[in-house]
Amino acid sequence: MMSDLLTPLLLPLMVATPLIAALVSILVGSKRLRVGISLLFAILQVLIALGLVLFLSTYQSAIRYELGGWGAPLGIDLTVDGLSALMLMLSSVLVLVLSLYSSQYFSHQDSVRFWPLWWLLIAGLNAVFLAADAFNIFVALEIMGLSAVALVSLGGSRAALMSALRYALVGLLGSLLYLLGVALLYRAYGTLDLLMLSTVADHNPLTWVSLSLISLGLLLKTALLPLHFWLPAAHSSAPAPVSAVLSALVVKASFYLLMRFWFDVLSPATNEIGMTALGVLGAVAIIWGCVAALRAQRLKLLIAYSTVAQIGYLFLLFPLATASGSSMINAGTIAAVVYFILAHALAKAAMFLAAGDIQSYYGHDNINKLKGLVLTLPMAVATFAIAGVSLIGLPPSGGFIAKWLLLESAISSGKWWWAVIMLMGGLLAALYIGKVLSIAFNQDIDRPTVHRPAQNRSAFYGFTLAILAVFCGFNTEWVLNLLEVQFERPLMTSGGVQ
Amino acid sequence: MFRKLILSESLSSQNEMTLLTRCALALVISILTIGLSAALILSPKAEPVLAIEALDKLALSGVENPVTAVLLNFRSYDTLLEIAVLLIVAVTMSTPSNKQMNQSAADTSRWLSVNDAQFVHPILTALLRWLIPLGILLSGYLLWTGAYLPGGAFQAGAVLTGVGVALAVAGRHHFTWHLFIARFVLTVGLIAFVAMAAGNALATGIVLQYPIEHAGLIILLVELAATISIAAILLMLFTQITALPNTSERLKP
Repeated sequence: MMSDLLTPLLLPLMVATPLIAALVSILVGSKRLRVGISLLFAILQVLIALGLVLFLSTYQSAIRYELGGWGAPLGIDLTVDGLSALMLMLSSVLVLVLSLYSSQYFSHQDSVRFWPLWWLLIAGLNAVFLAADAFNIFVALEIMGLSAVALVSLGGSRAALMSALRYALVGLLGSLLYLLGVALLYRAYGTLDLLMLSTVADHNPLTWVSLSLISLGLLLKTALLPLHFWLPAAHSSAPAPVSAVLSALVVKASFYLLMRFWFDVLSPATNEIGMTALGVLGAVAIIWGCVAALRAQRLKLLIAYSTVAQIGYLFLLFPLATASGSSMINAGTIAAVVYFILAHALAKAAMFLAAGDIQSYYGHDNINKLKGLVLTLPMAVATFAIAGVSLIGLPPSGGFIAKWLLLESAISSGKWWWAVIMLMGGLLAALYIGKVLSIAFNQDIDRPTVHRPAQNRSAFYGFTLAILAVFCGFNTEWVLNLLEVQFERPLMTSGGVQ
Repeated sequence: MFRKLILSESLSSQNEMTLLTRCALALVISILTIGLSAALILSPKAEPVLAIEALDKLALSGVENPVTAVLLNFRSYDTLLEIAVLLIVAVTMSTPSNKQMNQSAADTSRWLSVNDAQFVHPILTALLRWLIPLGILLSGYLLWTGAYLPGGAFQAGAVLTGVGVALAVAGRHHFTWHLFIARFVLTVGLIAFVAMAAGNALATGIVLQYPIEHAGLIILLVELAATISIAAILLMLFTQITALPNTSERLKP
């Protein structure tokens, strides 16, 4: 069948599309053309991701593509399974909405640098999700990390430059730790292909050391407490669409890699102690992040601290994935965490866009000076509230399903004490969301000196994302089915020179 | 360590770490070093399977140097992404057209403009007359020889940058980076790479797979484009930084 022959081409296309978009947006001179072409490529990217998702859910088989026809381990392969297809779909939908928002957000001067960097960042993200080679992941992380740093520095303020510099140093340290771990793996096993590594990796000191180095590097990039110190400043001082993509996707990409290494590639080298340690750090992150969010004076800082807390939930995956005393991985826990990623990405991006609207209207985002916000920017408040519902985990939102699944696996694996942390986190989230809303609904209005008039259209994009965050609670079964598509039976490969 | 970053031009920043922190750091680093060495000593080294396979397939790669074969053929995808990493630098350093950093009276409507009024010492001029063609020749040689011996786009690009830097420092020549031609030169490496990937897909059905009989030529063309872009990006980095108001005085000879 023709379509069967062409489907694997979607994998390299998923990386080529943002790269070509970056090149075109550098070459094109006018802002209008740059924006138009970017939107076109964003739509194209959604279609490609949709094609991948449809193929995987119809044929229930993962796809592998051998670049250059050499095949692993000599060449580099690209792979897509259920998890990576979901991540690609999530990222391309978010990128489309955020590109629409950005088309109005940036002035001509900033747009010269924004669009190329934006597309290079997305190329890095897609390359991470498609990667099947440990060294290739390093290169993809570099593209993602460096363009993210450059995008943060677009904020232009002294605070933005400082946090961008710190972000760059932390990112480099993380990358180098990762690279060191990979070098050790290559020495021990003589291959860089993830699938081959997963079949030969064993539990021995060298593998433990390299798993620790890889994990430490990726934890720095994922900003798990206590390695989160760079995140609040970087995420809160970047331009709104950049904050949104950093919180929604960039930290998730390194978490996605952690999942791959712990549960797939190097799973023989993992142990209960490591899993529990990550879980404990996650639990502390939930509580600490929520408390810091409650105390934050600036809206964007509050949202950034909330990201620190939500990242904590993701790490509950590690202790909950296996029942006490058994080594079987509980698919339900993985599904719960993937749901968390989806719901949080949509809700958090929506919140940052709302905060961006508020900041550009008021010229500041000091929470205590936002009294009567509901009268001046009702859409932004609605977006914030609806996204908040998902973050707290109230039904019927995606956040609710995620928390429900996670609670269920905590109870069923006999580790109920983790559930207490989750419930406390939900309660604290309700407090900080409630704090902002109660000020926004305060009738004792602060007359704002309007900094820049509100744009109805830009408010609409954040609102769409918030609604999506709620709606992703309604197609649980579809997501869970897609996640079952894994690499046990790689049916499709492109032919190659042997 | 990362909490108090200082953004300043002065090089004499104080070391703020207390003795205790320094001792703790030293301890952590020693433990890491010992652990790492122990892990290396205790574990066996794998057979160099990949190196053997790379040498095996060398005849199919279109080049005779195994390093070039890995970089431009077996693992060309990584190299493609690395060129994209360099492009990030170029974009980050670019300035909008109406906000030129250099205040000199140079003609900004051309990529490379010459200001004849600028005095350049005759001895320097004489030196550059030899140095610049020689640099270009050397760069071309490094690029060409990459097919057989160590060398290739990155080395050739670095030498070519040196040529540009010599021109820029002498003072008579001025580069302007916001023009279309400059933007094309900065991106041509990645353009050629992506075009090669797509063209090969049309020719052989597989992305990045060269038709064997033309592999050597295509690799040379991609490397040529990459050399030009690498040189342009590094040169741009140099001229943009030296054009910043604070540093221009300090760096002038």
